[in-house]
Amino acid sequence: MTMITRRSALAAGTAFALMPQIALGQAQPRRGGTLRLSVDQAASVLNPLLTRVNPEYMLSELLYSNLTRLSTTMEVEPDLAESWSANSDLSQWTFALRPDLRFHDGAPCTAKDVVSTFKAILDPNTASPGRTNVGPIAEVTAVDERNVLFKLSAPYADLPTALAYTNARIIPAPIAEGDISKLAKTAIGTGPFKLVSYEPDRLIVVERNATYYNKARPYLDRIEIVVYPDPTAEASALISGDVDLIANTPPTEFPRFAGAAGVTPLRIPSGQFLNVNMGCDQKPFSDVRVRQALALTIDRNAMVDFCAQGYGTPGNDVPMNAAYRYFKQVAEKKPDLAKAKQLLAEAGYPNGVDLKLVASDTPSTRTPMAVAMREMAKPAGFRIEVQTMPHATYLDQVWKKGPFYVGFYNMQATADAIFSLLYTSNAAWNETRWNNADFDKLVMAARLTTDEPKRRELYGEAQQLMYDQMPSVIPVFFDLLAAKRDYLEGYALHPRGSVFRLDHAWLGAGAPKRG
Amino acid sequence: MSASWLLHRCLFVVYTLFLVSVVVFAITQALPADAAVTLLGENATPEALAAVREKLGLGDPMLLQYWHWLSHLLQGDFGTSMRTGQAVGPALFLALSRSLLLAACAILLMLVVAVPLGIIAALRRGGPVDLLAGLVSYLGVSLPEFVTGTLLLVLMADRLQWLPATGYVPLTDNFFDGLRHLVLPALTVSFILVAHVSRMVRSEMIDVMHSDYVRAARLRGLSKGAVLFRHALRNALLPVITIAALDIGYVLGGIIVVEEIFALPGIGRALIVAIEARDLPAIQAGALIMAGTYAVVNFAADITYALIDKRIRYD
Repeated sequence: MTMITRRSALAAGTAFALMPQIALGQAQPRRGGTLRLSVDQAASVLNPLLTRVNPEYMLSELLYSNLTRLSTTMEVEPDLAESWSANSDLSQWTFALRPDLRFHDGAPCTAKDVVSTFKAILDPNTASPGRTNVGPIAEVTAVDERNVLFKLSAPYADLPTALAYTNARIIPAPIAEGDISKLAKTAIGTGPFKLVSYEPDRLIVVERNATYYNKARPYLDRIEIVVYPDPTAEASALISGDVDLIANTPPTEFPRFAGAAGVTPLRIPSGQFLNVNMGCDQKPFSDVRVRQALALTIDRNAMVDFCAQGYGTPGNDVPMNAAYRYFKQVAEKKPDLAKAKQLLAEAGYPNGVDLKLVASDTPSTRTPMAVAMREMAKPAGFRIEVQTMPHATYLDQVWKKGPFYVGFYNMQATADAIFSLLYTSNAAWNETRWNNADFDKLVMAARLTTDEPKRRELYGEAQQLMYDQMPSVIPVFFDLLAAKRDYLEGYALHPRGSVFRLDHAWLGAGAPKRG
Repeated sequence: MSASWLLHRCLFVVYTLFLVSVVVFAITQALPADAAVTLLGENATPEALAAVREKLGLGDPMLLQYWHWLSHLLQGDFGTSMRTGQAVGPALFLALSRSLLLAACAILLMLVVAVPLGIIAALRRGGPVDLLAGLVSYLGVSLPEFVTGTLLLVLMADRLQWLPATGYVPLTDNFFDGLRHLVLPALTVSFILVAHVSRMVRSEMIDVMHSDYVRAARLRGLSKGAVLFRHALRNALLPVITIAALDIGYVLGGIIVVEEIFALPGIGRALIVAIEARDLPAIQAGALIMAGTYAVVNFAADITYALIDKRIRYD
């Protein structure tokens, strides 16, 4: 009698203890189900070292893993590497891999694979976009089975974040050292999903990887990726329930989701921007007064309305906004046409100046920016002629060479990344040729320390320099827009735009059975 | 028709295709940016570009590149896509089969709707059917496909939810679902076909019904139905076949827009993607396929004339 009573008391006690869990049951991820999501262009590159556009980054993130990854708040967290450390001057970093990592074909993933992968990434013959974006790596060696040593050519505080770059995904050593073109048709990675079928222009299917290092995730059984090139049709497909998630949608379609039943619109401010680049090594833009004059004609809030349909934040000619960690709040720039005219006259152009502004056709927001600038700058004496062209032509003939054109950039992972990508003298994409020695010094100094306040101060000064000297006019930062069905949980937009974390997503009540 | 005529026509088709391949090749070479630039995009450093160009054979002289491509083609190999690294032939023929399916559905719809519409409009001039046919024609000729397509999409898929929004389901996967997905795109494409053909049928029928020999047939005592189907229609159909054959070329072109809107992975979209990527083997193959289809259809139209009208002979 006593035992039964105690047992039933224990049972009752356990039941009470579980109650809060059951009450919160809605927040517990459910395993299973097929997610169908749509993208606006085909993921035609499967090799993770060569991917270039967001659908390709999404696919390679499902199939492969990096040493580190970015959280939704842009913090770096462990992925294949469970911990890391650096020497005192930040020129040597050691990363420790998790135990028992396996590739999709069953082979173990060890330090050797990491070393071979990075050798391939850094090899100019591979032509990987990752080559200049993973940090100043001189040499990568395997200390033992699970530890990798990165020897840098210069101290670099942001290496862990840099290794989360979209092209720095780990591939098997035999392929990295052998025939890397195999990865154009098959995928052998360590990612949360395995490739089932690959028809990039129509349908890509992936399914859960049973040997993924995290036993709880991914929650989904399968993901189907379909391509809808027309945004209106894509939005209709979501509203009618044919797809569960749209990765990205333009501002023109976004209002349709607000009233649609069963649909949740997604929106997040991001550091994505259009910049109007001025060649600072030639007239007229070599004179900072001309650049200041142009900047003074721009109404930033109007630009947000015109170029982003209101889905954005104003910019002040610095390529960072509040979405970046070391952002420094600056005074908003207001238009002042009288001052602009005066500066132009002082610089030697009392009768104004003729300019040609080039805007490519992708993304389509470049042209509104160019046209708006033309109209805003006209009263001050800038006679701007806007020229549009196909993107391929722009890349071939204008980009990095032209004196005056509209650029477009996604948010980068760190302040150093965006500065070193575009604005330092030895930047890979030194579009403006500003070549400011003080700026270079500040950015260099910030790499040498992990001391937060010091870095904040240095980056603050760098931003102030750009604010004062404006090698580019940056009037708008775009919000990222997307939409999902209500039953999809665990998915949030990432400010970087190229990080998706679909292994955290799960299907709640009401999800249809697919596949 | 004689065998020598058939032979001449076949040779002419081959000659046309050869000319098309040369012209397309020349134009692609003249375009700014090549496959290496589009592949690498913003990451095109000089070394990267050189490496990719070497791999793709883009550094070779033009004639050599063309010869490489032609010699492979003559062995049945359409080459490898510069964009995806996969074989061009199988992918494009699969895309073509989907477009042909769409075209077939559209033409079927057109025949089923346009011919009766035109006949009734001709027989009952000024009546309600005639007015409807006139309205359909004007709308069909003035509305571009992307307007018709998007309107149909928003109405049928969004508001009424009768039909699936977009996408493509292979008939081999699920026959009826596949057909359901084809309805809206086929309607969009056939709208213009119906406009042209119904108008043509109507005016031809009116002409023919007033002609002497039809009057003679009526006077001889043949019933209205017999006159209509045995005599009038055959003559009215000849120009219709011409229009239909010409419209095939239009269908192949207009299909590109429809494929884009309805996310149908057909030959039109494949060609657009290939051109944007400067994917030379895919562009050549796509252009040849389109030109070949057009040539074959016209050939078939000529033969159909000869079959319908015994007076037409080819020597």
